[in-house]
Amino acid sequence: MNLFKRAWWRLTGHLGKTLMLVGLFFVICTLVLSGFLIRAAAARAAEDARARVGSVATMQLDVNGLIDSGKTRKPEGGQGGAIGAEGDLHRSLVEKICASPVVARCNYSTDGGAFPTENTRLHQPVPPPQGQDSLGTDLFSASGIRDLGAVKDFRNGDSRLLSGRGITPDSKSDEVVVEERVAKDNNLKAGDTMKLMAGVLPGPGQERDKREYAFKVVGIYKNSTPDSGSYVPAMMDPANRIYVTPDGGSKLMGKGDGDTVLKEATFTLKDPDDLDRLRKDAEAAGADLKIFPITVNDKQYKALVGPITRTAGFATVTVWLVAVAGTVILALIVASSLRERRKELGILLSLGERKPRLLAQHLVEVTACAVLAIGLAGACSQVLSQAIGGRLLAGEVSSAKDEAAHRPQEPDHSNPLPGANGPKEPAAEPISSMDIRLGPADIGKVGATGLGIAALATLLPGTRVLRLNPRDILTKGD
Amino acid sequence: MTVPTLELTGLTRTYRSGTSRRTVLKGVDYRFEAGRMYAVVGPSGSGKTTLLSLASGLDAPTSGTVRFQGRDIAELGLGRYRNRHAATVFQSLNLLTYMTAVQNITSAMEITGVKGRRRRQRAVDLLTLLGVEPAEHHRRTLQLSGGQQQRVAIARALACEVDILFADEPTGSLDHTTAAGIIEVFRGLAHDDGKCVIVVTHSQEVADASDEVLHLKGGRLRTRG
Repeated sequence: MNLFKRAWWRLTGHLGKTLMLVGLFFVICTLVLSGFLIRAAAARAAEDARARVGSVATMQLDVNGLIDSGKTRKPEGGQGGAIGAEGDLHRSLVEKICASPVVARCNYSTDGGAFPTENTRLHQPVPPPQGQDSLGTDLFSASGIRDLGAVKDFRNGDSRLLSGRGITPDSKSDEVVVEERVAKDNNLKAGDTMKLMAGVLPGPGQERDKREYAFKVVGIYKNSTPDSGSYVPAMMDPANRIYVTPDGGSKLMGKGDGDTVLKEATFTLKDPDDLDRLRKDAEAAGADLKIFPITVNDKQYKALVGPITRTAGFATVTVWLVAVAGTVILALIVASSLRERRKELGILLSLGERKPRLLAQHLVEVTACAVLAIGLAGACSQVLSQAIGGRLLAGEVSSAKDEAAHRPQEPDHSNPLPGANGPKEPAAEPISSMDIRLGPADIGKVGATGLGIAALATLLPGTRVLRLNPRDILTKGD
Repeated sequence: MTVPTLELTGLTRTYRSGTSRRTVLKGVDYRFEAGRMYAVVGPSGSGKTTLLSLASGLDAPTSGTVRFQGRDIAELGLGRYRNRHAATVFQSLNLLTYMTAVQNITSAMEITGVKGRRRRQRAVDLLTLLGVEPAEHHRRTLQLSGGQQQRVAIARALACEVDILFADEPTGSLDHTTAAGIIEVFRGLAHDDGKCVIVVTHSQEVADASDEVLHLKGGRLRTRG
């Protein structure tokens, strides 16, 4: 007990030095604990975001993969598309993958064009300039979808249904929903029939496929983008966007009445970690993943958690820096204090005190300061880390928003006519607040770190104590 | 022939500094008995403090042995020897400044393993015996005068209940009356309690009060009873 008493007397006898040591430990422990809390808050937020956004895997053609596979061939009569039938993603395959136990929900779509027939007019308020060949763009843009309500423009309010109903998973393959301007130009209303031709351009020396397909108008919608007043290629005009079923879309892509050909398929996974299992199931279903890779589109997830993850990264670096710097600073302080206390150590050695007990006294003193500081840090860290984390996160969120505002819009494969479809969908709002929670585990962690620092900072320079000779200390200069 | 309390045999101490060597003690032989008080005198630099350091186990000799009750203190362990059998009053006092007078003494008693619950009372008694006012007992030693600190240092050494008491100029900073009192305490410790008291001093009074006076000159010892 003697060394504890001596440690206590020393701490109270040199109150200024004790308070300085407690203060230093307090700063170290507070920063380390704040770092832990910010990291934990970020991890919780990321987990919540993951649960909220889910993990959506997308399957679509990779043209480079197709070329590398050597399966490209000349199109046959224009029916296989420019890259051949090997590049067709068939619905039958997708349906098999959808049956995988790891898939919570699946969706698919087509993306193409449709030529008007003699009795059907495109909406073109301003004709093309004289002499301009507009054949390649004089089409409706046709999106093959399973659920009109899930289409971005309808979700974000840029488009709304005026009459009739939308496309649903139960819709028949010959149903279509058209924009009100096209409906007006063609005197169409819900229940009428609209004839369209496949929007496939013929190869050199070939005739265009002029087969007509009859579609039943089941709904008329309104897009909020007004006419521009100048010439816009028909396919780029939002008024010329028509929505059909994937089967209807496949027909309009010139794929005939066989197995529906899709542009892409999306699979919402039950657990984001199931991606590998999904890929295995897809291969088992017959998919060539080199041609149709399955990738996770975690853009929204990243947008949500990006700033808070960067803040957590900064917090992690801070924890390490503070821990290392704290150990070094404390070790230097203890080393300097040992030098200052040489005489005291010599006196105790002359009385027969054992060197390990002298070291233990030092350790007790530093540990006592550390424990006090850990307690104080525990009391203050929640507020401090909320403030520090909030400030850091606000900066990161602001940077992320600026960056997003200046970044060119990436092509969106679910939207065949980007830019012609009104304003882009607002990006997911990044998580901008932190839920800092201080628990016993956090205190335990910072306690272990603080005591570890105390032990290292004491024992490293403390090895000098073991080399001390009382005679050298006490009679030096005599 | 009885075993002496402390026996120095061929004690030599050489200090090295770079390539130079300086031999401070040159083959000192001596036997110290219990119940006697010894004074070690000699001019400055004659090796008095070195002799005290070696005999008290603060330092190890270059050659020769120090035996306590027939046993080489190097075998016994210098730390253990200091802890159980030898106490030293230093010229520079060497008190722990963050402790009070009483704490300095009780702390030393705990380190040296003095048993009993009444350590504190014993510390107070010793301080009173050595003329330290009760009001000073619980003041930090840094706040005491040089003379009072000297008395606290002596009280600390006495409190440890060891077999041999070493003192380096113990009366150097005391007035004549107090010094005389301290000399009496040392004599009583030797003659009444059977301890071996070895005092390094320049004081003629201390030398006169001692049972034996050892003259150290040029690292060699000669005695005068």
